[in-house]
Amino acid sequence: MPTIVDIAVSNDNFKTLVAAVSAANLVDALKSPGPFTVFAPTDEAFAKLPTGTITTLLQNIPQLARILTFHVVSGRYKKEDLTNINSLISLEGSPINIDLSDGFEVKNATVIMADIEADNGIIHVIDNVILMG
Amino acid sequence: MATALILLPTIGAIIISLYPQENQLKTLTAIISALSLIWSLYLLKIFNLSDPTFQFTEYLSWAEPLGLSYSLGIDGLSLPLLILNSLLTIIAIYSIGEKIERQRFYYALILLINAGIAGALMASNLLLFVIFYEIELIPFYLMIAIWGGEKRGYASIKFLLYTALSGILVLAAFLGIAFLSGNGNFDYDAINTSSLSAQTKLILLTLLLVGFGIKVPLVPLHTWLPDTYVEASPAVTILLGGILAKLGTYGLIRFGFGLFPDTWALISPGLAIIGTISVLYGALAAIAQKDIKRMVAYSSIGHMGYILVAVAAGTELSLLGAVAQMISHGLILALLFHLVGIIERKAGTRDLDVLNGLMNPVRGLPLTSALLIGAGMASAGIPGLVGFIAEFIVFQGSFEAFPIPTLLCIISSGLTAVYFVILLNRTCFGKLDNKLAYYPKVLLSEKLPAFALVAIIFYLGIQPNLLTRWIEPTTNKMVAQITQTYSEIALK
Amino acid sequence: MTQLLTKLPPSTHEFADIIHRLEAGGSMLPDTPENLMQIIGIYKAYAVPMDFYWRDLLYIAERVFLEPLPFFKYFLPQEYLDLQNHYAGDNADLRIWRGTGSTHPELLEFMKKGETFSAPKLFHHLFHDRINMEFAEACMSAMYWHGRDMGMGKFDAYLDSDEYKTNADRAIRAYFKENPVMLGLYKAFPEMFLEQVRQLSYYSNLGLFWEVMAPVFFEMSDIYDEGGFKGVPDAMNFLVNGIFAIAGRPIYHHVYIDGECYEIIPKSKGFTWLYEAALPYVEAVFYRTSPFRGTKSYNAQAKQVPEEQKDFHFGILYADVFPVGTAGIPPTLLMDDMLHFLPPYLIEYYQKHCRGEDDILIQLGITFQRSMYNVTSAVIQALRTALLYPLDDQNPKHLLKNRQFFEQQMDRFKRPEARLRDIQKPEYR
Repeated sequence: MPTIVDIAVSNDNFKTLVAAVSAANLVDALKSPGPFTVFAPTDEAFAKLPTGTITTLLQNIPQLARILTFHVVSGRYKKEDLTNINSLISLEGSPINIDLSDGFEVKNATVIMADIEADNGIIHVIDNVILMG
Repeated sequence: MATALILLPTIGAIIISLYPQENQLKTLTAIISALSLIWSLYLLKIFNLSDPTFQFTEYLSWAEPLGLSYSLGIDGLSLPLLILNSLLTIIAIYSIGEKIERQRFYYALILLINAGIAGALMASNLLLFVIFYEIELIPFYLMIAIWGGEKRGYASIKFLLYTALSGILVLAAFLGIAFLSGNGNFDYDAINTSSLSAQTKLILLTLLLVGFGIKVPLVPLHTWLPDTYVEASPAVTILLGGILAKLGTYGLIRFGFGLFPDTWALISPGLAIIGTISVLYGALAAIAQKDIKRMVAYSSIGHMGYILVAVAAGTELSLLGAVAQMISHGLILALLFHLVGIIERKAGTRDLDVLNGLMNPVRGLPLTSALLIGAGMASAGIPGLVGFIAEFIVFQGSFEAFPIPTLLCIISSGLTAVYFVILLNRTCFGKLDNKLAYYPKVLLSEKLPAFALVAIIFYLGIQPNLLTRWIEPTTNKMVAQITQTYSEIALK
Repeated sequence: MTQLLTKLPPSTHEFADIIHRLEAGGSMLPDTPENLMQIIGIYKAYAVPMDFYWRDLLYIAERVFLEPLPFFKYFLPQEYLDLQNHYAGDNADLRIWRGTGSTHPELLEFMKKGETFSAPKLFHHLFHDRINMEFAEACMSAMYWHGRDMGMGKFDAYLDSDEYKTNADRAIRAYFKENPVMLGLYKAFPEMFLEQVRQLSYYSNLGLFWEVMAPVFFEMSDIYDEGGFKGVPDAMNFLVNGIFAIAGRPIYHHVYIDGECYEIIPKSKGFTWLYEAALPYVEAVFYRTSPFRGTKSYNAQAKQVPEEQKDFHFGILYADVFPVGTAGIPPTLLMDDMLHFLPPYLIEYYQKHCRGEDDILIQLGITFQRSMYNVTSAVIQALRTALLYPLDDQNPKHLLKNRQFFEQQMDRFKRPEARLRDIQKPEYR
């Protein structure tokens, strides 16, 4: 089975994400055995951010990495594993709220495609970049 | 020479009523009263300190059958009061505020008041004094009735009734003096009461006491005062409290103490007690007030009481103190009413419970507050200010004659500090209410009179000699006459 | 708007009107041309001294460091005057302001002449004819003091970590290597020195925060002068975009000793402008701070100061601006600083109201309060954008979440001393 990174690279919807991950030197980490659960924002999701946000983040790699690690949780969580869980702690350290009462929502993002299985984890595709707080 | 002090403002009043340019009236009035102040200062300069009797005398026979003559004279008793009169007139003109209705009439009346008071202070004929004393009431009545506060109708009628009664009593006493002592002559220097029986003298002196006591006023004849002072506009209050009330104490000294020396000695213990009661009553009533103007009005009753105690004691020092206190009280009271007037105009209220935080440096009235603190200190007799000098002389002079009343007066001068601390604490300190604090700014023309008064209060406080040197010869002479009378009585 | 109202019933909150305005994409400050003119004018007047503040804050944090007698800490060396702002000028990382990256020309002119005349720096300093850095330090102290209690971001927690202590220790030793007395004192009282370094880290934090705000405000003023903003919401949205654009700028603390850089808080910690500086700043300075000296009793029995630090609400959103000018009121210093750089239209405006020039400090203070309500609105809208849902979201549950968030924010202004009610009325000036 492909790794999380492989799946992302092969998909046309994750160009920004892949670029960001490689800029933040997180490729190797995400190729490691993990396992991880990744909430992967689509290109559209990144495009919703105001101009300048990405520019500043690309200039400051540690800060970019921090935002990206907020989208990653250690462990393999499928949608069904999350029914009784309100929040997960991200690798960044801040909690991510999960809401399954009406669809599958992660903070203020909606999962548009859940449970993409990878060798070293699970990918949930989301329609917004999620932020700490 | 002396007539000029009457003539100048009278002519000024006529000019004011005819002058075409409305917007220059205030300046013109100020110029006229400044001229009369300059003239009175000139008299001060050429005043002969070694002569305790009337100077600058003028005599004009007027209605001889009645004993009325136009005779004027100035001595150490009236001279400082004349200057105070001219000074406070200027202050009053500038404490009116920016805009006033029917200003032509207003300024003319102020000048007439100035002329009338000057006349009363200089009159050395008893009937002439009464004429000026009574004439005064008309402009005052009009000023209260036209430009007063909400209850001005009530206040002005009350003022008129009381003070007219005062005039009638004084007139009755004077008629009695002239006719009973036989010669029907009303000239001050010609009157000799020694031929009258002790009982007659007592009755006549009592008439004078009640008459002038209303004007001062002494408790329990004071009830017109709070209403009048509070309802009158600040300018009128300054003239009322600063100088008109002084006619009462002036009359007591000049005609009561001066004409009935032996009877005075008889009733002086009673007078001292009445004076002390006035002092205590004024102070305690002031503490209870919620209206800052009323508070200052009651404080005035208390401070006028010192003068009576001092006059009652009748020693050289105490009489000097009495006159000094008249001046000092006139200055301080004028400053207080002027500042209270500014506060009322700017803040729109006099209520102690509403006013707060006026010390606020930008949105409050910081300078007015600071000056108010200064005025409060002067009134409470803090050393270095003229209030201390006057009170100290009064207490020093009257202690040997009436120790207990004097001690009570000293205590109540401490009470002055109490109510001024209450006043200052509530109005100047604390937090400015943001909802109300959009006060207009205080104009320079409003500040200047206060600066002038503060400067004088300070200067005389540090250099009291400048105040007492004019008074001393005359008061010493009056006391000497009394001592002579006493020794004559003793010889008999 | 009508569509929104059909989806959610009207709010029953005390500030329902304001909440509806926020839901429609507005600001807490009513949208009037007068308000727009005031806030933009004051942003400009604020940005000029701020240009000094951030430079000097960084200078103190990076160069003055632990100087035992820092008499000259407000004397900016040329190097810091020329320091290029990262968000203005030709070499900017992200050009927010079109103008210069070095010190603002109006500031340079003021530093030379002050209110009086051209004179040596020392004269202007002692005569207090200068930029009031004391105000910037008061803001820094507020952030420092509330930092631990607020627990926002990761910055304050890091100050207690062993890693931080090691970094600080290295810098302290290097700084005092030729000063045995201070080194001895450090041996005896290490915590005291560490505490000073923590404070200096906050100097750096605030300096880096304001480095961003100054060009933002300058640009807003320029846009307004060109007729660019149509209303208060436009000005707010500019701020919201600004916040997002620079959210990821690093917050760090570097110290330069003998030409060598000591990274007390390295950039690699990943601390960001939004989480480690802006949000704590808003909470500490706009909301909390501490009562002005002399206006409240610190006597516990008097109960004039809250028992819990989180209940402190003395910031600009709550402040009574009227005592400005009284001794011990730090905002007086800021008002005084802004007074020197007011745009002409604002001076003219103040002359027409209240006491004109005489109470201009308070008038501009209240304008400043209005403008900070607008900045706070921008922060609230930015948080809503980042953490919640778009205002035109089609899902009523999402709109309800937005509503709850706005209501929660407005709850903080229910306190009687909050000025939110006042700034709704133009008569409050």
